[in-house]
Amino acid sequence: MHEDLADNLPASLLARARQRGGDVALRHKHLGLWQQRSWKQLLAEVQGLATSLRAAGFALGDSLVILSRPRPEALLVSLAAQWLGGVAALLDPLAASDEQVALLRELASDFVFAEGQEEVERVRQAGLSPRLLFYADARGLSASGVQSYASLAATPAQDDLPIQARGELTAFSFHRLEAGQAQQHWLSHAQLLGEGRRLIEQERLSANEEALAARTFAASGQARYLLAPWLLAGFRLNFPESLATRDNDRRELGPTLVLGTHDSYGRLYALAQQRLPLPGSLLRRWLDWALDSRGGVLRNSLGHWLLRRPLRDVLGLSRTRVPLLVGEALPVESQTFFAALGVAPRAWPEAAQWQAAQRLRPSTAWPQGQVQPA
Amino acid sequence: MSNPPLLELEGINLSFKGVKAISDIGFRVAEGEICALIGPNGAGKSSLLNIINGVYQAQQGRIRFAGQERRAMQPHAAALGGIARTFQNIALFKGMSVLDNVLTGRNLKRRSSWLEQALRIGRAPAEDDRQRAAAERVIEFLRIQPWRDEIVGTLPYGLQKRVELARALAAEPRLLLLDEPMAGMNAQEKREMSRFIVEINREFGTTVVLIEHDIGVVMGISHHVVVLDYGRKIGDGTPEQVRHDPEVIAAYLGTRPAAA
Repeated sequence: MHEDLADNLPASLLARARQRGGDVALRHKHLGLWQQRSWKQLLAEVQGLATSLRAAGFALGDSLVILSRPRPEALLVSLAAQWLGGVAALLDPLAASDEQVALLRELASDFVFAEGQEEVERVRQAGLSPRLLFYADARGLSASGVQSYASLAATPAQDDLPIQARGELTAFSFHRLEAGQAQQHWLSHAQLLGEGRRLIEQERLSANEEALAARTFAASGQARYLLAPWLLAGFRLNFPESLATRDNDRRELGPTLVLGTHDSYGRLYALAQQRLPLPGSLLRRWLDWALDSRGGVLRNSLGHWLLRRPLRDVLGLSRTRVPLLVGEALPVESQTFFAALGVAPRAWPEAAQWQAAQRLRPSTAWPQGQVQPA
Repeated sequence: MSNPPLLELEGINLSFKGVKAISDIGFRVAEGEICALIGPNGAGKSSLLNIINGVYQAQQGRIRFAGQERRAMQPHAAALGGIARTFQNIALFKGMSVLDNVLTGRNLKRRSSWLEQALRIGRAPAEDDRQRAAAERVIEFLRIQPWRDEIVGTLPYGLQKRVELARALAAEPRLLLLDEPMAGMNAQEKREMSRFIVEINREFGTTVVLIEHDIGVVMGISHHVVVLDYGRKIGDGTPEQVRHDPEVIAAYLGTRPAAA
C-alpha cells in the first residue's frame, strides 16, 4: 500500500512495515540503554495486542482508556485499539488524582490501560471493574491479579486480523475536567493523517528525522504533529526513559524534530539562563553581543563557536532542524533567544475544540463529529 | 508474620571498655518482614546493627542467620551471606557517579579474576554487561535515573540517602539493615523513602531491619517493632502491641499510663 492511500493510522503502520520493515521505527531508553523496535517488530506487537484485545471482547467503536505517561506501550496499545476500529481515550497522566478518578468514573470504560500501580489504584478508586485492565509497569502489581502489557503483547498475532479503522472514525479522544465539568474532544484518522501530510510537506520531513516524544502522551498536539507524521514519513520516534530524564535524553539523542509547548520551551529557556552569566554582568553583555546575529562575520563566528553551538548541545538541540511549537505563543524574550540560537520554534495550532461530555459512553462507535449520549 | 526466622539474636552482650552498651538482648526477625529497632539515643540500636553485620563482635551471645549459627559474624562473611546495610552518616564514594556507586554494590557478584577485568578478556566483558544491567534495574526501581551520571557529592542529602540504599540493594541482600534511612529528611522525602522500603520488602521479599526515630513512619511501615532503652530490650511485638506497652510508654514519655 502506498503511504498516500492509507486512510487510517493502522493502515499507515502496515504500509511502513511493508515498505521499510527492517528500519528502526521506535526507540525507548530503558535501563540506561536505547532499546529499539523495527517497523516489522512494531507491527507484530500491535497485531498481537489487537488479537488480545479482541479476545477480551474489544470491538469496533469501543474505547480503550489510557492513563499513562509517554511510553511505547501506550502508543502501541492505542494503535491496537484503532486497528480494531476502536478509540484510544487519553487522560492527562499529570492531572490531579481526583480529576483522573472523576474522568475514569465518567468514561466507565470496559477496557483500561493503566501505566502502573498508582494508575491501577485510581481505576479502583473510581469503583470500576473493567473487563480488561492491564498495566505496563509491574512494580507492586505482579501479584495483584491484574494483567500485564507483556502478557498481552506476547500473544501470537492473528494473521488475518482485518483493520477495522476507517478514515472518518475517531482515532483519539482527549478528556479533561474543567470547573468540575467533564469535557472531551476527538480527532479522526482522516484529520490526523491530513494534518500529518501537511506538516510533512511544509516542514519537508523525511524518513531520516529523529523525533523525541517527550510531551505528555495525552496532548492532542502530539497525535497531530508527531504520531501521524511518524507513521506517514517513517522516521524514528524516540521515547525518553522518563519525564524526569527527558532533558538528558534529548541531549544524548540530538533529535532533528522537536515538538514543544509554551511550557516546554520555557523550561529549556530557563535551563539555558541558568548556564549563562547574570544579566548585566560584563561577560553577559559580551555574550549578548556575540549572540546578536545582525553582526558581521567575526561576530557570527564567535557567537557560533563560543555560544550557540555549546548552548544547543547543552539543550539537546544540536541537530534540531524542525522545532515545532504547539498552542500558546512564546514570550518575546524566549522567542528571540531561540531565534538567536538558530532554532526558532515554528507555531502550529493546537485547535482543540473541547465539548461538554454530556455523559458520553465511550463504548459506542462514533464517527467524527457525531456524539452519541449514553 | 508467621514465616520462619531469618535472623535470631540470643543473649547478646556488648561492652566498650567496661561500659555496657547492650545487655542480654535477644529477638527474632521473620523472613520477609520489616522490623524496626526504636529507642532513645544511646539505647544501643546502631551497636546492635553493627553486631548483626559483623562490624562489632559481641562479647556474649549467639547470632543465627539463615539457619547458620555463629558466635560472631564477620563483615565480609555477612556480605557474602546476603546482609547489606546503609549507614547513619552517609558512606558513599562522594567523588564517583551514582552509577559507579551502585556498581560497587555488585562487587561480590563478580566471578571474573582481576586479570580478566584489567584486560577485559574472558568472562569480564559479559560480566560487566550483567552487572551494569543489574545496577540499572536498581536505579530504575529507586527512580534515580535522572542523576545516574551525576557525581554523588553534588547531590542533595535526601538523594544521597537513596543512592546509598541503591548500593545496598544492588547486592541483592536477603537482609537489609538500614540505619536511620530518613534522618534529616523533610516530610516529602520521608514519604518517598518509606514507600521505597515497603516496595523493596514487597517486590523482592527482602527482610528489612531498620532504625528510625520517626515513630509515625515506624508504626506505618513495620510489621514488627523492637524497643531498646539503655542497652536493654523493653518491648517486642507488633506496632499495635508496642504502642500499648506500659514500659515502652514510660521510656518514651517518662510516665506510666493510668491504671484502667
